[in-house]
Amino acid sequence: MSEKQKKKGGFFQSVKEFVYGVAAHDSARFALKTRASMEHLFILITMGDMLGVPILPPYYSLRLLPYVVPQISTWKRRMLREKDLTDGLA
Amino acid sequence: MNAIYVLIMGFVVAVLGYRVYAKYIDSKIIQADPNRMTPAKMYMDGVEFMPTSRNILYGYQFKSIAGAGPIIGPIIAIQWGWLPALVWILAGTFFIGWVHDYSSAIIAMRNDGASFGGLSHRLISPRARIILLSFIYFYLLLIVGAFGNVVVSTAVGLKGSPMAWLFLTIGGVLAGQMIYRWKIDIILTTVITVGIAMVGIFLGLKAPSNQVLGDSLANSRWLWAIAAFVFCYFASVLPIWRFSLPVNYVAAYIVFLGLVFGVIGVFILRPEFTLPAYTSFKIPIGPIWPIMFVTIACGAVSGWHSIVSSSGTARQLENEMDARPVGAGIMFLEMMLALFALIIAGTIYGSAGEYAAAVAKGPGGVFAEGVGKFLNAVGLPLGLGKIYGSVMMIFLAITIMQLVVRFMRVATAELLSDISPIFKNVHIGTLVASVLGMVLVITGWWQYLWVLFGGANQLMASLALMLVSAWLVSQGKPAAWAMIPMIFMFVTTIAALLYTSYNLLAKVFGGTLKGEALIGNTLMGFTSLFLVVAALVLASEGFKAFRRFRAMRAAQPQPSNA
Repeated sequence: MSEKQKKKGGFFQSVKEFVYGVAAHDSARFALKTRASMEHLFILITMGDMLGVPILPPYYSLRLLPYVVPQISTWKRRMLREKDLTDGLA
Repeated sequence: MNAIYVLIMGFVVAVLGYRVYAKYIDSKIIQADPNRMTPAKMYMDGVEFMPTSRNILYGYQFKSIAGAGPIIGPIIAIQWGWLPALVWILAGTFFIGWVHDYSSAIIAMRNDGASFGGLSHRLISPRARIILLSFIYFYLLLIVGAFGNVVVSTAVGLKGSPMAWLFLTIGGVLAGQMIYRWKIDIILTTVITVGIAMVGIFLGLKAPSNQVLGDSLANSRWLWAIAAFVFCYFASVLPIWRFSLPVNYVAAYIVFLGLVFGVIGVFILRPEFTLPAYTSFKIPIGPIWPIMFVTIACGAVSGWHSIVSSSGTARQLENEMDARPVGAGIMFLEMMLALFALIIAGTIYGSAGEYAAAVAKGPGGVFAEGVGKFLNAVGLPLGLGKIYGSVMMIFLAITIMQLVVRFMRVATAELLSDISPIFKNVHIGTLVASVLGMVLVITGWWQYLWVLFGGANQLMASLALMLVSAWLVSQGKPAAWAMIPMIFMFVTTIAALLYTSYNLLAKVFGGTLKGEALIGNTLMGFTSLFLVVAALVLASEGFKAFRRFRAMRAAQPQPSNA
């Protein structure tokens, strides 16, 4: 691809991303927030086993665990982060 | 003067501000480092902390900060003449506006993505956090009042706008259903739903509200205030994907297209300013200083931006070098939007008398008239263009209003649930926020409401700059570039709020008011007094923090020159 074509593609890509940012980025963020709040519940029901307090029968925990483990590190960051009211505005 | 010169001046100020001043601060004082990890990378949680492309953040930041504020402020402020308004928009953005937006993002980014509540707790004092959050609650109430008033006055003044508003809402709700439930292609969804909104604009011309509802209902402020708060109620209690987000999505296209073609229209028509460059030092809402400096808020400097920059943008910047283009660059773009509004107000009327008659009915009518004229230059019939402008105005105001009502519902639950668990109920929380807002909308005079909103907004900006200054002092960096704007904004806004609350409460205690005006003046007067007291307490806490940081820096051993 020539330098000129690259520049042209770059410009249109930038415009596309800008329009996405104006129109849809917020929607994507809120969709992620909704999914994250569901994940909180999902992880909390398996958390008991990790702490040694069985809440669900171990069979179900074991079935859920493979889906939960990849999320744990980001979940910890979300749960332990200090939050306040202004977080809801942006 | 020709409007093109105003746009050229704006362009020159933006280039100088961005390429020279902001670049100097970014490279020499903040020392932005492309290799330093940002919170978006360090604390990536896949939700709020997420590295995001700079181009997407341009759009996100612009959409989040550019509501009705940069448009209405210049339309009102031109009552002092277009020259003072022009000077304040250019100078305010150059010396204060970008400094505020950029530094709010930087301070949050360098403090692990903390929001302003956390930063005030960490940098100033635990008490500062509680005062700041109470301040923000009342500041948001004034936003609801001021923006609600704009929606109501536009719906009353422009009879074609309610139909367009209704159709855009229907298009938005359908967009939510199509995207999230029926999984229909996003481009097809966009074409259909934006098309529905356009049909609504056309129907607004054919079936204005006075023909559909009759004159008395079409002119009823109560009716449109209830409609606005019912809209906000749905936005607050329904899942966000079902109402709020898709309506905003469709509205974004309407607003974006209107602005782009409106600016093209300015270049085609190249109109001359017809209103006087300067009228007088004092007009009915007050003197140039301090009142004009708070009337034009978002186009010059706005506290709202600090909340967006710190709690939103700072957590998504993937590189420190992006803070200047996103934080500062988009503020200069918003300045251009304010100049567009100034051009509209300054060029479309034949005389000051015509303008005064139009603005007395509300700023929405002036904006719609201007958009209609400039869209007409690109081929849209004048009547349609005017309705297009009116629905732009309504959605620029109501998208912020519904976000704020939703937020106030959460805040009401947080603040009052200890008194009674009933405040945790989403409907009760929304009702509390809506009733408070509606009282302001119905009883407050819109120009005073706008000045109070502007005052609270600018005061929020000065408090944000105070946090930035405290951080700069704590880091041993030069702080004058943030501290001088902070002092100017603090003194100006305290003076504006005191002046306005004195005027409001003098009428209340003078016994000259009755009914709605008495309620409105009392509520507005005491709200602004509360904001002043909260800001003074915060300033005193901030001053103690400065002294503490200075003493700590002085006590540290200095590196030897030997």
